[in-house]
Amino acid sequence: MSVAVASGGGFGRWADRRFKYLLILPAVLILLLVGVFPFINILIVSFQDISLIFEDRSFHGLLNYKRLFTEARLWQAILHTVIFTLVALPLELVFGLLMALLFLEPIRGRQVFLALLIIPTVISPIVAGATWRLMFDNQFGPINQILGWAAGEPVPIIWIVQKGFVWPAILIAEIWQWTPFMFLLLLAALSNVDKSQVEAAQIDGASNLRIFFRIVLPAIKPVLAIVLLIRALDLFRLFDVVWALTQGGPGTRTETLSTYAYVQGFQQFETSYTSAIAFVVVVLLSIVVVLALRRVEIAR
Amino acid sequence: MARVRLSGLHKHYGALHAVRGIDLDIPEGEFTVIVGPSGCGKSTLLRTVAGLEEADEGAIEIDGEVVNDLAPRDRNIAMVFQNYALYPYMTVFENIAFGLRARKFPKPEINKRVQEAAELLDITEQLVRYPRQLSGGQRQRVAIGRAIVRDARLFLFDEPLSNLDAQLREEMRAEIKRLHQDLGKTMIYVTHDQVEAMTLADRIVLLRDGLIEQQGAPLDLFERPETRFVAGFLGSPTMNFVPATLEASDGGLAVRFAEGTTLPLPPTRAQAVRSRAGSAVTLGVRAEHMSRANDAGTREGLAPLNVTIDLVQPTGSRTYATFNLADTAVSAELQAHDVRGPGEKMALLVDMNRIVLLDPETDRVL
Ligand SMILES: Nc1ncnc2c1ncn2[C@@H]1O[C@H](COP(=O)(O)OP(=O)(O)O)[C@@H](O)[C@H]1O
Ligand SMILES: [Mg+2]
Repeated sequence: MSVAVASGGGFGRWADRRFKYLLILPAVLILLLVGVFPFINILIVSFQDISLIFEDRSFHGLLNYKRLFTEARLWQAILHTVIFTLVALPLELVFGLLMALLFLEPIRGRQVFLALLIIPTVISPIVAGATWRLMFDNQFGPINQILGWAAGEPVPIIWIVQKGFVWPAILIAEIWQWTPFMFLLLLAALSNVDKSQVEAAQIDGASNLRIFFRIVLPAIKPVLAIVLLIRALDLFRLFDVVWALTQGGPGTRTETLSTYAYVQGFQQFETSYTSAIAFVVVVLLSIVVVLALRRVEIAR
Repeated sequence: MARVRLSGLHKHYGALHAVRGIDLDIPEGEFTVIVGPSGCGKSTLLRTVAGLEEADEGAIEIDGEVVNDLAPRDRNIAMVFQNYALYPYMTVFENIAFGLRARKFPKPEINKRVQEAAELLDITEQLVRYPRQLSGGQRQRVAIGRAIVRDARLFLFDEPLSNLDAQLREEMRAEIKRLHQDLGKTMIYVTHDQVEAMTLADRIVLLRDGLIEQQGAPLDLFERPETRFVAGFLGSPTMNFVPATLEASDGGLAVRFAEGTTLPLPPTRAQAVRSRAGSAVTLGVRAEHMSRANDAGTREGLAPLNVTIDLVQPTGSRTYATFNLADTAVSAELQAHDVRGPGEKMALLVDMNRIVLLDPETDRVL
């Protein structure tokens, strides 16, 4: 009571109660500005017909959306993206998990290894891509060099061009960069597993495999789900590494949804068509995220 | 059922020497309680027996077989942890069945055994629930159920009751003792609580700084402690220790305090310490071995002591009265109405047959 009086009744009291809203107001405004406004703009533009050659701002209905279904190159890019995701995600998970399990044991020089292992993830992806481009260089790259020593003769693989090598090159760079992220989060989750539960299971006679699948895995499941979701979304937007290494080439052999959209939007200036792509992707991913989050919550 | 034998057992954690040479022989079917203050190495010792820690030195034998190099799962033991360590993502049924499944028991056998264990522990209703839905006492029962369902040859308990409230603790204590009587298995039980140790044990092993201070039957340790540590650790309230000197008087021996008061030793007690006449000793006397002098006269061995009470703590049936003797606060357990209040002067009788005399240098009982 005395507080309200001291702060001057009327307005003071109102401000007191609304203070929390005032505090978050700037953040909400900024979010609206950078999130919702562009989204609505994309939606509007996707119903118009704007490109490099002419700008027609009248309503064109589903024109651009129809084009989505007939453009074979788009579907190829989507297929590539799905394949990249389906190959890279399990590998990152398995490598990250194995590394994390390894690091659970007290080993000498743990801190040093940890610091070294985190480096790939803190490097900017485009820099990582450029670095890998140097690594894979067919003349001066260390990878061909090392393979050459092993083979005893010069190895002339042109990684970022040759069929059968471009995909592995991109996957290697991608997995190299993001496995440490998996590793770190899984290590944190694993370190939090109640050690006495594992010990009780050992005494109960369970094999290490059974302990992992019945005791450890359920305990880290929520973290696992979140990490997989984050990485799946990242992979679905895969751009930097591909762009730095091959720009989607040779031809369109490694084109992903993101590099395709980039080419359409910023090289061909198919603004309205690209907006339609962006809109569909955002809607689809939002549905995936909402469903996934709901599942995680149920799992708890 | 198993016989356990530890010899020359050592365990280090880096620079810390947690277990410093333990020799222990535990006969088949015995309930052994390892007791000692927090940090004395009880858990480490138990975990070494379980195989959860590796012994740095020494041998662990179960039924004559050295098991040092066996994994915990191959030792055929069961263990109840302080925090219960239930599997949170499994129902109570699955928790109890886990060890049976791991050991590939047939399904009908698993069902039968889990049901039996649940009935024995009165948790049949809880079988379909998850650990987080249970009370502390029920969790404790599940943890015990998980241990007994498997017919392990040796049971290990690491402070299983310390997370329970006082009343539940007493109930579960009785239940564990009954379980031992029914199953007849060898059990090793770790606790820091001397009451638990006294009530449960066939034999108490008192641990101090990684070494066995003394072992024996509970009453044996209580009545014939070998060191000040044992005398002080067992019994509640803690034994009173008063500095004194031993002097010859009237052909016998007496304990003399700084202020000049003396307590004569009965001839049977005097015999053993005759050579100490004239030297400093510490008198150890339990609160319950002092009583208010009354008109009924004195028994052999009861020595009178005049004191001024300065603190009174009633507990209901008994009252603890504290007084000063040789600059030491000494507490006596009296009948509820024996004492009126602080400042009261009274005559106490000290049961000299039950006192202990210690060497103040070595803190060993004379
Ligand atoms: N895993 C460990 N690493 C390092 N020191 C430990 C570890 N476990 C126990 N200790 C130390 O060893 C000593 C004995 O511990 P513990 O056996 O747990 O004692 P208690 O169970 O009797 O309380 C303590 O000083 C404790 O700090
Ligand atoms: Mg302990």
